[in-house]
Amino acid sequence: MRRPFFAFLLATTMLTAAEPRKIFDYPYQQHDFPNGLRLFTVPTDYPNIVALYIIVNVGSRNEVEAGKSGFAHFFEHVMFRGTKKNPPQKWEATMKAAGAATNAFTSDDLTAYHATFSKPGLASILELEADRFQNLDYSEALFRTEALAVNGEYNKNSTAPTSKLSEKLRDTAFDAHTYKHTTMGFLADIKSMPDQYAYSRQFFDRFYRPEYTSILVVGDIKPDEVKALVEKHWGGWKRGNYAAAIPAEPPQTGERKGHVDWPVPTLPWLAVAYKVPAYTDSGKDTAALDLISALAFGSTSPAYQRLVIQEQKVDVLSGGAAARVDPYLFTVFSRVKADKDVDSIAESIVSTLNGFKDTLADTKKLDAVKKNLRYRFALSMDNSEAIAGALASAIALRRSPETLNRLYAMYEQITPEDLRDAARKYFVENGRAVVTLSGPKTK
Amino acid sequence: MKIAISLLLMSAYLPAMDVVAMPGQSPLIQFRIVFRAGSANDPKGKAGAAALTASMLTGGGTKTMTYQQVLDAVYPMAARLSDQVDKEMIVFSGATHVENLEGFYGILRDALLTPGWREDDLKRVRDDLKNAVRLSLRENNDEELGKEVLYSLLYKGHPYEHLSLGNLTAIDALSMADLQAFYKAHLNKANLTIGIAGNYPKDFVERMRRDFSALPKGKPSTVKLPPLAPLKTTQVTIVQKKTRAVAYSLGFLIDVTRNHPDFPALLLANTWFGPHRSSGGNLYQRMREIRGLNYGDYSYIEYFPNGMFQFEPDPNLFRRSQIFQIWIRPVEPPTAHFALRLSLFELERLLGKGITEADFEATRDFLALNVNLLMKTKSAELGYAIDSKAYGIPEYTSYLQAALKKLKHEDVQKAIRKHLRKDRLQIVAITDNAEDLKKQLLADAPSPMKYNASKPGDILEEDKIVSTKKLGWKPEQITIVPLDQVFQ
Repeated sequence: MRRPFFAFLLATTMLTAAEPRKIFDYPYQQHDFPNGLRLFTVPTDYPNIVALYIIVNVGSRNEVEAGKSGFAHFFEHVMFRGTKKNPPQKWEATMKAAGAATNAFTSDDLTAYHATFSKPGLASILELEADRFQNLDYSEALFRTEALAVNGEYNKNSTAPTSKLSEKLRDTAFDAHTYKHTTMGFLADIKSMPDQYAYSRQFFDRFYRPEYTSILVVGDIKPDEVKALVEKHWGGWKRGNYAAAIPAEPPQTGERKGHVDWPVPTLPWLAVAYKVPAYTDSGKDTAALDLISALAFGSTSPAYQRLVIQEQKVDVLSGGAAARVDPYLFTVFSRVKADKDVDSIAESIVSTLNGFKDTLADTKKLDAVKKNLRYRFALSMDNSEAIAGALASAIALRRSPETLNRLYAMYEQITPEDLRDAARKYFVENGRAVVTLSGPKTK
Repeated sequence: MKIAISLLLMSAYLPAMDVVAMPGQSPLIQFRIVFRAGSANDPKGKAGAAALTASMLTGGGTKTMTYQQVLDAVYPMAARLSDQVDKEMIVFSGATHVENLEGFYGILRDALLTPGWREDDLKRVRDDLKNAVRLSLRENNDEELGKEVLYSLLYKGHPYEHLSLGNLTAIDALSMADLQAFYKAHLNKANLTIGIAGNYPKDFVERMRRDFSALPKGKPSTVKLPPLAPLKTTQVTIVQKKTRAVAYSLGFLIDVTRNHPDFPALLLANTWFGPHRSSGGNLYQRMREIRGLNYGDYSYIEYFPNGMFQFEPDPNLFRRSQIFQIWIRPVEPPTAHFALRLSLFELERLLGKGITEADFEATRDFLALNVNLLMKTKSAELGYAIDSKAYGIPEYTSYLQAALKKLKHEDVQKAIRKHLRKDRLQIVAITDNAEDLKKQLLADAPSPMKYNASKPGDILEEDKIVSTKKLGWKPEQITIVPLDQVFQ
């Protein structure tokens, strides 16, 4: 039995080798088709199961037109409305015959369609998916009905205060860039979605193109067979020519504040955010900010120890910079146990981050964080679907799994001085937004 | 040779605790330490004892280490120890890379065998547990709330009645002595199954046996479950809460658990009717796909908590009694009456017609393949193996695949008729307009649907039947409950 990954892990160690090995060391293959489509095949030793991800580099970031927020996510729904050859019932039947579990998701920078199934289903599923990506065809009536399901999704999300907190934070922190709205979109835009049929056809025509799309096949597979199937069913897909002009966010000029009145009793929530640069695997910014977030607010940090364990003033404390294609936010979220403490917790968060500007981080602690990141990644890679999921995020950012290897190699290089420099550069009042949420009783 | 024999003799003296060991090549070592006890064992007036005890073990220090020292030690390993408490099972699960096995195992062992029982830890984990009940469930998640209210109403007067996490007042009153008493009574060898998977050293299982033999011998905690009579009439419980939409859960008790001869047949019927988070199910198709009523509609024959956050059920939720449940995701208030009528209409149709021979075959073939996906992680495989022991059935995938091979269309039709029903239901609604909904339900007037697009003629015809479907409920069948009374 082939066991390259396990054998490698057993033969060497995660951390003590003279040269740290690559964090993602599966023997994958990349193939670029002439139409711009990119295929990744990753054979693993988890028997019989195949995980397929189709990743389109379009998300709420691309929603540049007024009134069209939330459209990338809505379109993800529309993609399940079938083609002439494969109406939805036939699509379901083919997936069912393969024993497949299927779903899709959208975020700021990507839309991903995934299916996990037993390996005999691979050929029929690659053909089926090729059809809907190239020949999607839906009536206006079905389109209007699907818009209601998105409204239903907004409704079910709306019971969590964190949804509203994030919505308010983005709206407060951004003026021009499309990260101003969430992936769900503004409620007014969701309400008008049923009337956007013509625009939806245009959306498909713009973004559902091979140059925006990567196919990722992970599991019990033979790469050559997969390549031939993709060539056959996806090779004729025509390249497009659209690129959204995404507005740059102008520099922020002062601290911003926002508040949400929540209708139901809740403990107050707090978000303290700073503008930070886009994801990078070639510069130090992303790696340094990731390490700061763990050192500052991780479960072994002094702030966590004081606020969560000793004083017990908060029960949620977590922070970090989400990896995004364009400059986004380093955000610290906290749920505070008493309303009277919200301001002082906000001050604690700010002063914790300011602390990194003057005091160099302890190298032993920094080393523990680096170890944590590597082991956490290794522990998450415990099945083909999880491996595909981790790669999908990387592909959304750089269209290559290598970005994972570059980022983790960068972590190893970061010094306490790098952390200090990043803190001085980014944790500044002019880049800060503080948003709070409280219920009726705690005001 | 001598050594081997003496080892063999030694192990003969070790206590006969259950072990499920899955040695393999993976450098990721998975643990599942399961006790056959749970919230059904909470003493009277102490709902939450099991949950808070488990929280103290995973969220507190050990005799020799403070909680902060535990966190500091496991942090570089990225390892975590977590607990899950249900009616009849408490599971402590964790994973570590084999390079950190020694360090992580020491902490796991001490957390479970020599807990620290510190008051400041208790204060924190008590807050966490109360916030899980009050905020994460009651105030911030209408759908999980509806499901848990449904369960507690169907199990009135039964050891399964109270929320597994406990009630707020009872959690507040639990003392350290209560938790220690629960620990002593139920975390014993008679209830224990040790589960481990991965590339652990050869003698590791024996070592765990030896270490865990420090637990008291004890006796099984299995409580007697009184028989439960079905409701005499349908009951509707409306929880009044400030919220945008209306979430429903409805269902009834069934006799079928995983070891029941009709389980595969009923699972197949349910997989056709309302498979979890799948767009292929009948309910989903009729309610969401065709009519756009909401985000999704599903049904269940086994307990599946946190369904809104995950696609596969967690293992180690062994129960000796289950319910059939329909989950209707939030609908807009103007369509709430119609949506409820439609779900009942579909349930009646399932009872009347069952499923077609072609659907039977397609669903059978789907299940036989799809069951493999449940085992996609070693941790899940380990969990299912432990559950199979508890239910007294063979390994789950082969058990199900073998049963599906023998299954006939008629078996499924019979199982539907025998175990499902359309009346004497418990219905739970979470809504801001409780009085309005009650009035509508009692008036029993037509609730016609208005669409934003044209619909096929057969759907419009069906809507006429659904929208005028008489429910015939009387005022005493409908109760409004204020939110702050739930799980208080």
